[in-house]
Amino acid sequence: MTVEQTRYVIIGASAACMSAATAIRESDSCGDITVLSMEQEMPYFRPMIPFLISGKKSEPEMSLIGNGPFKEPKIQIRTGTRVTSVDTDNKTVTVGNSDSISYDRLLIASGSNPFIPAEIKKMSAEGVYSLRTLGDAKKIAARSSKTRRAIMLGGGLLNLKTAFALLERGLKVSLVVYSGQVLSQLMEPDDAKLIHKALDRAGLEIITGCDIKKILTDKDGVKGVVLSNEKKVEGEMLLIGKGVSPNVGFLDKSNVSIDRGIVTDEYTAANIKDVYAAGDVALTIDSLTGKKNISGLWTNAVEMGRCAGFNMAGKQTRYCGVAGILNATQVADISFVSMGIVHTKGAGYETHIAETQKAFRKLVFSSDGKRLVGAVFIGDIERAGLYRYLILEKRNIEKIKKQIINHQLHYGHFLQ
Amino acid sequence: MTTPKEIFVKIDKCMGCHSCELACALEHSKSKLLYNAISEHPEPKKRIYVEWMSQDSRMPVLCRHCEDAPCMHACISGAISRTEEGVVLTDKDKCIGCWTCVMVCPYGVIGRHMEERKAYRCDRCPDRDVPACVSACPTHALIYETVENFSSNTRKAASKELAAGHGG
Repeated sequence: MTVEQTRYVIIGASAACMSAATAIRESDSCGDITVLSMEQEMPYFRPMIPFLISGKKSEPEMSLIGNGPFKEPKIQIRTGTRVTSVDTDNKTVTVGNSDSISYDRLLIASGSNPFIPAEIKKMSAEGVYSLRTLGDAKKIAARSSKTRRAIMLGGGLLNLKTAFALLERGLKVSLVVYSGQVLSQLMEPDDAKLIHKALDRAGLEIITGCDIKKILTDKDGVKGVVLSNEKKVEGEMLLIGKGVSPNVGFLDKSNVSIDRGIVTDEYTAANIKDVYAAGDVALTIDSLTGKKNISGLWTNAVEMGRCAGFNMAGKQTRYCGVAGILNATQVADISFVSMGIVHTKGAGYETHIAETQKAFRKLVFSSDGKRLVGAVFIGDIERAGLYRYLILEKRNIEKIKKQIINHQLHYGHFLQ
Repeated sequence: MTTPKEIFVKIDKCMGCHSCELACALEHSKSKLLYNAISEHPEPKKRIYVEWMSQDSRMPVLCRHCEDAPCMHACISGAISRTEEGVVLTDKDKCIGCWTCVMVCPYGVIGRHMEERKAYRCDRCPDRDVPACVSACPTHALIYETVENFSSNTRKAASKELAAGHGG
């Protein structure tokens, strides 16, 4: 007797893909899983790539398969394989010029590409990079060894982590931020004061309120930039960190519905039968704001990929969507988390702020004061998970509000 | 295969003496001797927390080693995995101190070791037959048992009470 094997094809090989593959394997032991990755390397933990630049981790230490929740799920991974089109009528995927692969269920987890402003694209020169892949990290690490000063554009989390990697290598780093603060997507200007101080202590030069007007070059590539305020900054490397955009170009001729990213329903399915999407390429609904959202977070991609995997293997699993902002990290010598709704200026939220020399806490409640909707903790992030739980579960917190505000909340309060 | 044991908490038996916290920190110290441990640097860290629920009720809170552990799925460096015994462990060498696990743990029981910049939590005392906190608890508020035995014992105790109540 032969068993009909389901053919699963996954485009992409990062968080969403690998958790989907693991989930499929948990529910379907014999299906055929093929992963198509345009990157040259086997799957790796993408958030760790700044550590390759600093030299703190080597490539094998970032390998994904066999680590954490990612088991060896007996799948076929084709690296260096670029998907050029998807034909949903005939259920095939074309790779390269002509090679066609048939699927029964398709997951598009093609991730995102760095967004490079058009005026910078025009000026591109040797030594201008954006950090997205392990391949990029290798190039940046190689260039770093002959660079004394680096210039970075953009004040997001990845850029800050990369800035620290370069500082650790002994480079001088200037960070150019268009807005008045770093991490503007994760907190408001007044909230970021402690972070700015920590960055100063660490020796990072931050230039706010500026853009890059011109890239200066010589025979070795970049040698500096001219800012929008006409000031010159010297540097032999320029890193662009202006966010990402979903990688959907190869779907141009397909019938897959796209609104910036691939439109997905609550079961992670696209508009066409047997096609699913997860991770940075998928458009979902932010569970807190109710707005359309493309997440771009590793943890969200893992969760959505896992849902997609179960759905593809026939185990119906609802994806609840998560908040667009759910970040934790260590910046220089300070820890912080930012969760849920944190931009409150001008909106009708009830906010409570407590500040000391070393710590900052901001709690955001709904206008009726009955639900916690967001939190920013800097310095002391102890038990942040309890607050995250309250935010995502939209629990009525009236009975424990005092403990929340006074930073006394513990798990026992949930049992009362 | 034998079913692995877990640490259960009997909330009604905890009297808030903090013995479990001390035993935990001691077990995770370098010397494992109380006199030496208190002067160690970095200070030994406890992974169990006795919390006050109300005026007359306390409870120890510790890692539940969740079946679908949010920390394990959220970890961005693959440092958290589950052993065959069902223990969710953080591999110190792999941990990069990003605190994502701290942010997603719904029990609030993952600590930050700031000297090492590593996350830490209950490891169920791999060098001991019975975890230190369980051995130290004077009122048996902490029980180390398999799920089957624990619920069977709970059922037996409940039926005894019922029978006693009916004069049986």
